[in-house]
Amino acid sequence: MPELLNDQIKAQLGEAFAQLTQPVHILFFGTKEQCEYCDDTRQLVEEVAATSEKISVSAYSVQDHAEIATQYNIDKTPGLVIAAQDGDAIIDYGIRHAGIPSGHEFSTLIQDILLVSSRDSGLAEATREFLKTVKEPVLLQVFATPT
Amino acid sequence: MAMESPFVQAEMIEATEFPDLANRHKVSGVPQTTINDGKGHIVGAVPEANLVAELQRLL
Repeated sequence: MPELLNDQIKAQLGEAFAQLTQPVHILFFGTKEQCEYCDDTRQLVEEVAATSEKISVSAYSVQDHAEIATQYNIDKTPGLVIAAQDGDAIIDYGIRHAGIPSGHEFSTLIQDILLVSSRDSGLAEATREFLKTVKEPVLLQVFATPT
Repeated sequence: MAMESPFVQAEMIEATEFPDLANRHKVSGVPQTTINDGKGHIVGAVPEANLVAELQRLL
């Protein structure tokens, strides 16, 4: 398959990722059949990861690795988990992408990588205080389109 | 927010790839933020404080 990212975008990513401080690990989940964008998504995140030594990727099939998919609460493919890596440990912050991150979603993916690497949500103090009081599961699903 | 709380999961969904889910949540304008599988919806970019207020109302 030809490369999805051109040299200009790779250079821009290299520049943006120069500020990455801590390692980021992306888990890719795909299905073998009936997944129009799984192959493209996997290739895209691997090309993104190749632009920085602070980003690594592991790839799983929800059929072959059902336990891991359940552990990460993956019910859509292609699915991505943008996690932190600390030595051998993967720290899951609960950040997911479903569907190919192209167009606007590509910027969101890059922002998520920068955010996770910084280990700082950047949220207001009041928001952080409120979130400490949350003791039940909250699922925020943000729907977007590529254009 | 997901980063700050182990209870919060944030999922960015490409709406055209998951039309059934998008239809179920009546996604018309994007971005749309859906809270806890339809308990709350916010259409458009959400300022942080507004999302907090909505969560406080729902939880």
